Amino acid sequence: MGVTILLSYPVPENKTGPQTVDLLIKRIGALGAVQSGQFLVDCETFSSGPTMGGPPRTVHVLHNSEQPAAVFALLESPGPPPKTVPLVADGLFDLLMLKMSSIYASKKQTRMEARGTRFEIADFLVKIGTVTMSSNFKGVLVEVEYRPCFIAGNCWELMREFMQSFLGSVVQNTPPPYFQVHNRLNDVYQPLDTIQQYLDHFASYRKVAGL
Amino acid sequence: MSAYSVNISVEAPVENQIQEITYDGQEIYTPPLTMSEHLTKLAQKIDFAKCGPEELNKEITEIDKNEDEAEQSTAPPLWPWDSVRNKLRNALTEVSVLADVLSIAKEKHYMVLDPVPQEPPELKPMVQVYARKKALAGAASVLLSGADRLKNLQAEALRNRTTPDFHIELLRLRQNFRLKKVSNSIVGDLSYRTAGSKFAQNGTFEVTKAEEDGDSPLSPPCSPNASLSNKPTSALRVTVPSELQGVAFIKVFFQKDQDSLTAAQLNLPSSSTANAIPDMYWQPKLEAAQNVLFCKELFNQLAKDAVQLQSPIPHIVVGNQIIASVLPGIQLVIGLCHSGVSTDGKTAVVPPSSNGHDHVLEHSLHQLLRELHHKNTHHPFPHPSSGPIGPSKRRRLAGPCAVDREELMQMTQSETMLEQVIKQAQHINLRDRTLFVLDRLAKDIKDPLITSHWNALNSPTQSCVKINIVAHMYDTICRTSLLIHVNETTLKCITRDGRVIHMSYESQELRDFIMCQVYLHQMTAVQNLAKCMGWQCLANSAQLGVGAVEPFGNASSCVLASPTGERLISVRCEPKSGVHVTIAQSPRKDFFPGQLVKERKWENLGGSFKEVRWDKMEGKNFLNKMELLMASLTSS
Repeated sequence: MGVTILLSYPVPENKTGPQTVDLLIKRIGALGAVQSGQFLVDCETFSSGPTMGGPPRTVHVLHNSEQPAAVFALLESPGPPPKTVPLVADGLFDLLMLKMSSIYASKKQTRMEARGTRFEIADFLVKIGTVTMSSNFKGVLVEVEYRPCFIAGNCWELMREFMQSFLGSVVQNTPPPYFQVHNRLNDVYQPLDTIQQYLDHFASYRKVAGL
Repeated sequence: MSAYSVNISVEAPVENQIQEITYDGQEIYTPPLTMSEHLTKLAQKIDFAKCGPEELNKEITEIDKNEDEAEQSTAPPLWPWDSVRNKLRNALTEVSVLADVLSIAKEKHYMVLDPVPQEPPELKPMVQVYARKKALAGAASVLLSGADRLKNLQAEALRNRTTPDFHIELLRLRQNFRLKKVSNSIVGDLSYRTAGSKFAQNGTFEVTKAEEDGDSPLSPPCSPNASLSNKPTSALRVTVPSELQGVAFIKVFFQKDQDSLTAAQLNLPSSSTANAIPDMYWQPKLEAAQNVLFCKELFNQLAKDAVQLQSPIPHIVVGNQIIASVLPGIQLVIGLCHSGVSTDGKTAVVPPSSNGHDHVLEHSLHQLLRELHHKNTHHPFPHPSSGPIGPSKRRRLAGPCAVDREELMQMTQSETMLEQVIKQAQHINLRDRTLFVLDRLAKDIKDPLITSHWNALNSPTQSCVKINIVAHMYDTICRTSLLIHVNETTLKCITRDGRVIHMSYESQELRDFIMCQVYLHQMTAVQNLAKCMGWQCLANSAQLGVGAVEPFGNASSCVLASPTGERLISVRCEPKSGVHVTIAQSPRKDFFPGQLVKERKWENLGGSFKEVRWDKMEGKNFLNKMELLMASLTSS
């Protein structure tokens, strides 16, 4: 698992989502990328009912097609201090959540998905995906992974240059906010970090009123 | 609904009896019995007198019944427990009388039981005698028949001392094989199914008593008094199925690629043990049959793999042979040799090169099949024991460790038996070649000594060898070491300075490489020796760019100066043509001032290099000669 940067590409005013995706695909194709399958990252939210007592807690259950055997779960508990507990589990975790439907109820309308094609260029892996929330288009997410390196601080400059070559000025010169806290730039990168970036983006998309 | 239907109402039957119907049609029901009334009604039905023996109390029951009826008919509203109380009182009276009689009989304090004398009965002596005689005769006959039976058994045991008992043999057989009784015959199983095999062939054998000659061998077991057989064999006879009879083994050997298309039918001439004694002791017979089954399963599995695998040179499966190509020019032949009792009329064709078959590979084949069986039965246990059985530990950890798709794909790939055997065969081949090359080189090159130490512990697909190059008597001066990993089709060589060189299976590459290393060793040794002798190394070059181009490797050279600076030695090592040593002298001996160069001081520039006739030089080896040369140049 190499270092992965997730970026939200703003859809220009005069274009639709699919048009933007096509544009990005053309750009990355011009660089010499080879298409290699599809990808899917989805997120389902469960919130605790009144039987648990205390303020309601949410559990986000995410799946990533890059790690098909794993299920990621993040528990957000608002009680002081607010903390997020991550968990990486086997596929049976989904069934466990089904069994706990009386305690944790799923909010079906907030199920978010990022789906699209993945491209391979040399050591990079680029995924251009459309984010939808129960079939409503929300935005375009671009995920870039540099496979050989697993410490973000060592390859941030290289990745920034690469991303600017086909995404343009959307890419900031400073690392994304996810990497600026907790000294994440010098930590070993885990698949869980990708999922947490996805969750942050999904949360920001949820806040945007319908498109 | 329709016109012809009638409404029917269903009511439960009336529970309480009707006492009275008034004139206006109203029914008055008897009130239902209360609990106590119900109980008394049931209690009256109990007849306490019926508990005792029928004959004694029949009269009492009759009397009691009459009394009951009389009581019931006369005064039902009297206290309902009256009859119960009377019966209990009678019972108490009887029991007290019994207690009194018992105490009289036991204690004998105040009253005793006195027998009443009676008349003795009339004696009839003859009748008595006859009665006693009859009884004794009966007892005697029983005893005599028992004794006869025991005598017969003992006599038979004395005669049949050589033949062991059928049942004891059966017990011993049962300790080794699983037996089952089916209708009236005993059937056993010699297949590997309980060990995890999934082979479809049946491995049942039948167990019968060893009969005398001429009888049918399939008669069911009869009484323990079996008839003897004249041969000194066991009391059991086992019948194995016809396709498992005889002896079979797997034969593996290498074959050079002369004519790969003449796939001769590997039909071994039937061995001497083929015509087995029909009444052989059962243990070796069953073991041989089991071996036949194992070999058949092994060959079946290999044939299936050979057909399914796709390799650059396809594998050939003909008859009872599988021919797989290991390296270009070398083939591996795996054959199943089964010398059954019933031979078809085929003529035995001599196999192409059957001198020395590879026992190691045959053993690995057996081990591989056993591993397959083991995997079928032993599933890795999940650690939360509620987890699913089936996935291996790596697969179970794949979820929590979030492994990639590529790693998951790798986990699903597994090697077939034929692939593993081919890999082992390739490795054996390459190892033999490497051995041969190294031994040849060690024999040919005398000057630096080449020693090779092979690792004692290896894997079936990798071996390691450490090569040391030293000069005789100068091993402290310089030693060159190399480590070579021999894999299936490649060699990896790691030198002391950290270079890693990958070579293919061609033995010429290894030979060239070792030759280059030898000459590099010479060069390094000369420089170290010069340091010891006090000579100074002025220049050296490991990959020399001057001179003729070498067919392999590069020439190397160095220039040494004596401690006083007067003498110079130049050494040039070429892997192809050997070593050239030239010397020069610093103040020229042959200086003559000429027109251009007038002054005497120019003689110090040094003379030209003259080659030393190395074969005439004194010394046992190159370094020895160098040492003597340096010594002579220093002193003179």
